[in-house]
Amino acid sequence: MHRLPWWMGGILMAGLLLMTFSIYGADRPLGASTYVPYFAGILFDLDPHKYAYLKEIDKAGAWEGVLLLGALFGGFVTSVFLTKSFRFSLIPTAWKKYKNNSVVSRLLWSFVSGFVMIIGARMAGGCTSGHFMSGMTQLAVSSMIFGTVVMISLLITGRFFYKRGE
Amino acid sequence: MEIIVKTAGDDLPSRIAQMFETVIYEGRGSLVLVFLIGVIFGGIIQYTRVDKFEKIAGFAMLKDTIVPKMLFLTVGLASIGLYFMVQAGWAHYHIKPIMWSGLIIGGILFGAAMAIFGKCPGTGPVSIAEGRIDVLVGAIGGLLGGLVFTLYYDDIFKPLMGESAGKLRLPQFFPGHEETAVLIFGIVVTIIAFVIPKRELYDEKDLEKLPPEARPDRR
Repeated sequence: MHRLPWWMGGILMAGLLLMTFSIYGADRPLGASTYVPYFAGILFDLDPHKYAYLKEIDKAGAWEGVLLLGALFGGFVTSVFLTKSFRFSLIPTAWKKYKNNSVVSRLLWSFVSGFVMIIGARMAGGCTSGHFMSGMTQLAVSSMIFGTVVMISLLITGRFFYKRGE
Repeated sequence: MEIIVKTAGDDLPSRIAQMFETVIYEGRGSLVLVFLIGVIFGGIIQYTRVDKFEKIAGFAMLKDTIVPKMLFLTVGLASIGLYFMVQAGWAHYHIKPIMWSGLIIGGILFGAAMAIFGKCPGTGPVSIAEGRIDVLVGAIGGLLGGLVFTLYYDDIFKPLMGESAGKLRLPQFFPGHEETAVLIFGIVVTIIAFVIPKRELYDEKDLEKLPPEARPDRR
């Protein structure tokens, strides 16, 4: 099988979430955006004692940092052996179809949206994993607010940023 | 012979060693377990293809609905499971606070960026692992975003995020009916996952590598 159906993915992801929440697992939610400022602190050599934010995220950032290393490894292995989709590429196929053929445009937009994405995630206190998946699983009201705003913003941007048509 | 790893210091290798050290002593699962959770997380995302630009930006264009279907199913099933695990003492809630302006400004920025990038912080690394250079460039942008957020946290971002209005869970609006509220939520969200019409936007470049009978678009 070269790809898992969505319902299988949903069942497996629910199982992984519960394992992470369990006191026999990690006794915490699964998040995936705190590692970014954590690594930024390491790479740009910021003193963790000087910056309040780095102090705040020291534990969560390290935990997610190790999670990220695992995700890189897991994604690499399945892309090479299961989905056979490993290849180097600079521009997604659908970008060419619905935006433009320019590699420079794609890289520039990637850079800008990557920057904005992390500012947004850190302001909201979570991302798709921490808020949408882990937060809504706990029926957290904050995560439902975030999820609703993200959905609206995502769909409006998608409507106006890309060309329409089949 | 005893192996001694020096984790004191502020050079790059020491800081990375400190990351492992923090996880080892934090008590949120062993180092191996946390790494393993990551491997499974990345594996599920990659194997279901939800890290693809075609799936996430495709959803923003309403040409693909695999991401919301899978997300809603995950939340629906896990919310019921987690409730009973917490009742049995096998898990705890870790609720994020309601900070209105942080959630709304952050959500708007995050949603717009997700539509354009076609990734989020969890799926991006998986795409990098399968060779997507444009996502690597986006990750560098993300690291700079993390840097700016850290540098100006006290002066700009923390005041902008506003005060916490508390940590609320939906069932708290229905006192005495906690269990019913959770069950209804879980079942409704699961049903939504199946009711959302299935639409898929495929990447021809991935499909052409597969044998014709394995192509999901020709079944």
